[in-house]
Amino acid sequence: MLGLWALWPPPEGKSQARLGSAPSTQPANVKYVIKFNPGPLYLPGVVPENSDKPIEGIAKVGKAFEALYPDTKIEFIGVPGDVREWLVTSLSSGEAPDVVQINVEDVWQDIQKHWYLPLDKYYDSPNPFAKPGAPGSVKWWDMFKYPIPTRGTMAPDGHMYCITLDMIETGIFYNKTLFKKLGLHEPKNWSEFIQIQKVIKEHGITPTVIDRQSLADWGVDLTFYQIYEPLRDLMDLNYDPKRGEYMHGYLDWDELIFLHDKGFFTPADPRWQEVWRILKEWRPYLSQDLNPIGTDFMQQFVTQKAAMLWGHSMMVSRLVNDPNLGFEWGLFYLPPITKEYSRFATGVDQCVIGGSAMQYTVTNHAWSDSPNDPDKSERLKRVIAFLQFLTTPENCDKVVNEQIALLPNIKGVEPHKELMKFDEILQRHYAMTKWFFTFDNQWDEVLMRELELFLNDGIDREDFVRVLEKDLERTTKRITERKDLDIDRFQKVWDERAKMRKQFSGLPNDGK
Amino acid sequence: MTESSTPLSDTTDATGPGGPVLAYTTLRETARSRSLIDHIAASASLYAMLIPTFLLLALFCLVPFVIAIWRSFQEYEVGGTAKFVGLANYREYLFHDYTFLQSFGNMIFLTLFAVICVMIVPLIVAKLIFSLTSERASYIYRILFLIPIIVPNVAIFLIWRGVIYGDDGLLNLVSRALHLPLPAHGWFSTPSTVLWAIAFIGFPFAGGINILIYYAGLTSIPDSVHEAAELDGAIGLRKFFTIDVPMVMSQIKLLVMLTIIGGVQAFEGVYILTGGGPGFRSLVPGLWMYDNAFKFQRMGYACAIGVILFLLILALTIFNMRYFRSAEQLQGQTR
Repeated sequence: MLGLWALWPPPEGKSQARLGSAPSTQPANVKYVIKFNPGPLYLPGVVPENSDKPIEGIAKVGKAFEALYPDTKIEFIGVPGDVREWLVTSLSSGEAPDVVQINVEDVWQDIQKHWYLPLDKYYDSPNPFAKPGAPGSVKWWDMFKYPIPTRGTMAPDGHMYCITLDMIETGIFYNKTLFKKLGLHEPKNWSEFIQIQKVIKEHGITPTVIDRQSLADWGVDLTFYQIYEPLRDLMDLNYDPKRGEYMHGYLDWDELIFLHDKGFFTPADPRWQEVWRILKEWRPYLSQDLNPIGTDFMQQFVTQKAAMLWGHSMMVSRLVNDPNLGFEWGLFYLPPITKEYSRFATGVDQCVIGGSAMQYTVTNHAWSDSPNDPDKSERLKRVIAFLQFLTTPENCDKVVNEQIALLPNIKGVEPHKELMKFDEILQRHYAMTKWFFTFDNQWDEVLMRELELFLNDGIDREDFVRVLEKDLERTTKRITERKDLDIDRFQKVWDERAKMRKQFSGLPNDGK
Repeated sequence: MTESSTPLSDTTDATGPGGPVLAYTTLRETARSRSLIDHIAASASLYAMLIPTFLLLALFCLVPFVIAIWRSFQEYEVGGTAKFVGLANYREYLFHDYTFLQSFGNMIFLTLFAVICVMIVPLIVAKLIFSLTSERASYIYRILFLIPIIVPNVAIFLIWRGVIYGDDGLLNLVSRALHLPLPAHGWFSTPSTVLWAIAFIGFPFAGGINILIYYAGLTSIPDSVHEAAELDGAIGLRKFFTIDVPMVMSQIKLLVMLTIIGGVQAFEGVYILTGGGPGFRSLVPGLWMYDNAFKFQRMGYACAIGVILFLLILALTIFNMRYFRSAEQLQGQTR
């Protein structure tokens, strides 16, 4: 009886909202069921934090598209667990969704396997859903509001593999009320930032909370930028004009490998040592535990146990919609490191570390009806058409502005006013490289783990840099083999820059 | 002489000049084959019923197992091409992987800790329940100790994580509130305490099926043994160590073996609690295998780690079977 009771279906109207859209119970005229993974933020049925209304924006856009294309059904699906692990297995079996939201750096890891579709030719063609004369009517590319950060998703092979519907950026959320009470203000430079945290700590409050992955990702990249920025022209061995000034100085993995061979990012590189010194000096002002499994750093911030939270724009809605928030909050960006704090720094403004948020990539499943020739695939035409439809201003507005989380990347769609500060940050220069994500998956793991160990006094700086060096040796060898890279081609550029190198002190191997 | 050794001697004889001996041997072989065929034919329907189970077992257990061994000799990435590399994956893991010693050390520590716990605490609790004079109370306690097994492991790990978590964990909050000498710190994030923090998950290690297994062992000890022991003056702790413990040796052996296998294979607890960190201070080989397979896409390398773990479990099982004597063997010795 108990079993029967447990298995009895719930009465109509009492069942929970379904995540995603209903599976394919499509009418007979539907020939194409497009599976679309919109990412966790836009998945229909998801109820955002501090809200009681399930997400429905993208489902409405899907319905409108189905009305235009009666032979097509758009099915929105979620991803179980870690997107990359799930995607790799489903892609290798040909069962992946047609469009998936995945960090483009993860796509770069596998571009040589031809799992993903280069979208360049579509970007350069008109978007048929753009109004005549409006942006996009000549080139789809013209519709994107932040073209420079959008271009930042270009893969090292020079192709664009994703459509970026929106932008994200990081920032330091701070307790304005507490700052006022303690007589503190937004810091103008790193020394002030450290000083502020010292004062907060003396009052028994955790100054800043950030998790270990974000620290290994954003923390390392921003500190790296501050220390290596003066060497930007010297180190950027393969300047790509297509990426523009925004990514001038960006180091792809092949450049990193060559520079590593020249002694950069090794124990012999004083700048590399300096990056870790700065992060270590920051450590006493971070939460005791950097590993967030099972914990919620935002909770520590809203309950005023922590004065600052290094987070991102997706966290804003939680603060805005919190009826019990007992303080005023503000936002600033990580301040620059000046020469007084580090002999290698110049006090240049901090760079952008965010950029493209929901990155929609077309997988090989989209042309499964014509596996050898995507151009002949009817299915792919509908997939591209839906992406084009999604990026019209009205549809982007419906999807992105349904919640206060991300900044629309389509011209003519304004972000929520609470996100405008992030808009300002996005105007800055991009990071010089992204050590985490773009380089090698095992390297990410080693960097994150060993950095945590180093910061928690489990290993000294000498040993830490040695461990990193050991793994960089392995990583560079593996990437060169996997990607079949020609590293030696940079030697000529390097030789030509011999004079330039003489201008800088503290280069590894005396700049040879 | 057993029947199986007969054909060899018959065949040896048949090589000699005696023709009738050869004829006799062939006849006997044929008769035995026929009897085996007849036997199979008679039980055909029973064998047929076993086929689906066997096929599924082969499909989902044996075939992947063989493929994993084959893959361990390849450099293979999901979606990429496979390249035969011989023993390179094994060599790399055993001699060049910086996690090898650390992760095996961690695994041995956690497994030994679990083995010691499983040998002591549940046995004591089972003995206490067994010693209750009230049948009703004994039943209630058995149920109470069994209830925790309905909680999923992941939930248990997350609850414990909440208890031990650095800044605001229950342990630290209580420690601060009561001004205990226990210093409040990140138990999982401090390299020197992380393994102990993981090992103590599940404290006081008294819940679950282990108690029932020991309890079943204790109830199977014949009353005559208890009576004889008491007549010889063995009571209390002496009786426990000289009668109960040897008589539940089969259960101890089973639980030790299961704990070792679980300890070598396990990684979900470490994955949830620390992810193997800080650094690699709490990494176990199973987690590294998982990372290599699904995060780093080094499927061949992950298979090599898996094969090494399999060989380790096999060796430990053989060792356990050979050197841990069961109650039955002990009884056989005393007869």
